[in-house]
Amino acid sequence: MIHFQDVSKHYDNQTALRKITFSIEKGEMVFITGPSGSGKTTLLKLIYMAEKPDEGDITVADREVRKLKESLIPLLRRNIGVIFQDFRLLDNRTVFDNVALALRIRDVAEGNMKARVFDALKIVSLRHKADSYPHALSGGEQQRISIARAIVSEPAIILADEPTGNVDPDTSGGIIRTFKDINAKGTTILIATHNRELFRNTGRRVLRLDFGNFAGEEIA
Amino acid sequence: MALSYSFRLAVQSILHEKWINLLSVLTIAVGLLFTVITILIVHNVDVATDRLPEKFSVMLYLNDNVSRQEVDNIVTTAQKDNAVEKVKFIPKDEALKELKTSLKDTEILDGLGENPLPDSIEIKFRGESIGPETVKSFTTRLKEIKGVHDIEYGEKFLSSIYSLRVGMKTVGVVLIIVLSAGMLFVCYSTVKILFYRKEREIETYKLLGATKGFIRSPFLIEGAVIGFSGGLLSLIGILLLYYLVVLRLSLTFPLFRFIIFPIDMSFVIPLTGLFLGITGAAIAIGRIRY
Repeated sequence: MIHFQDVSKHYDNQTALRKITFSIEKGEMVFITGPSGSGKTTLLKLIYMAEKPDEGDITVADREVRKLKESLIPLLRRNIGVIFQDFRLLDNRTVFDNVALALRIRDVAEGNMKARVFDALKIVSLRHKADSYPHALSGGEQQRISIARAIVSEPAIILADEPTGNVDPDTSGGIIRTFKDINAKGTTILIATHNRELFRNTGRRVLRLDFGNFAGEEIA
Repeated sequence: MALSYSFRLAVQSILHEKWINLLSVLTIAVGLLFTVITILIVHNVDVATDRLPEKFSVMLYLNDNVSRQEVDNIVTTAQKDNAVEKVKFIPKDEALKELKTSLKDTEILDGLGENPLPDSIEIKFRGESIGPETVKSFTTRLKEIKGVHDIEYGEKFLSSIYSLRVGMKTVGVVLIIVLSAGMLFVCYSTVKILFYRKEREIETYKLLGATKGFIRSPFLIEGAVIGFSGGLLSLIGILLLYYLVVLRLSLTFPLFRFIIFPIDMSFVIPLTGLFLGITGAAIAIGRIRY
């Protein structure tokens, strides 16, 4: 589903990723870990094409991203649900509208929208906050809204950048359980986290990054 | 993509940024109002001067001893010219008769022993052919023909009218271009400001997989609404100006009665606003890159 071959990315004089090679199969749930600044976010950005690699090849959902026409980028991104580190919620829209945005972009009919949005909000236990605005929610709640927006369109791939960065351990456990449930339905999930507790004893594959270098992989 | 959603976003944005949008609508309305006034002035001058051919004629005054053959030659030469519509020979007796008819007091003519008027030829031109240069070159050629004594056609009047027409059209076109560019810039700036304000929102749309159409539509609709509203407001202004001012003034000053407001303008003004709004918005958004 996701394949990196000798991928490097540089920002000015700094190397964010150096010759990274790995593969994630369809239906896998994989963690990427490493300290802050190890290149986790850059790696995710390369997958959803917010950044372009300087070297190497990336294949996502059978598409070679380097050769992808600009007009096809939105279509590739629709296969991916992203949970951004900074949430990227729209302050002037309600929780409902923020989550529904992912469906509107995918041209989902208004008739189906309501039920799907409420289902997604129910999964993150925020059904009752549908009419609230993001600024009225706590950091943890905003993060869960971001998760709801990523899962509502039932994408083939979910990328989560520090999805539990702003939540308490109990909520973290709940979020991971949610990911497991979604993964059980066949969705490929890639979670970037520096929190080792999150994947301990999950039995999932963990890719380790260390200052832009691939530092090996293990089964948690 | 549901267009209704784009409309909703556009309306929300218009209401959210109501002051900047209202200012833009008013600026466009004023700009269009001045544009329409310019067009009306040019149009009315054009219509007024267009009636000129019906009245305009060149008079050829012939020599006293002109022969019938010479008259025929002059008439034939004049008729050969494509610009000429009608040639009429007026014998001196007929000219005197006409003069007597036109004068109320004919006693002044009774003292004349001999008819002082010469034979003459009146030439009328086709409407589209009347121009200072055409008429001048035509009269220069006719002046060379034997039997022609003098030619009169109100050269200065003709030149003035045509200078007025050309001048008005030129000034009108320049003004319309300047005003249109100004209005386009207003729409462009408004949408550009809104676009910058929503930069992060647009970035999020892109990352979530929105197409360029999805991102553009609300801004284009917003530009269209601003432009169309400006056009509508301008139309209301021009109609008020026409019916309340021009038509009222025409009761006192008959000259105002001749000012025409072409009814087609009622459709053209809002549509022009719409066009300017959409174009300005499209330029402001520019090329969206992923």
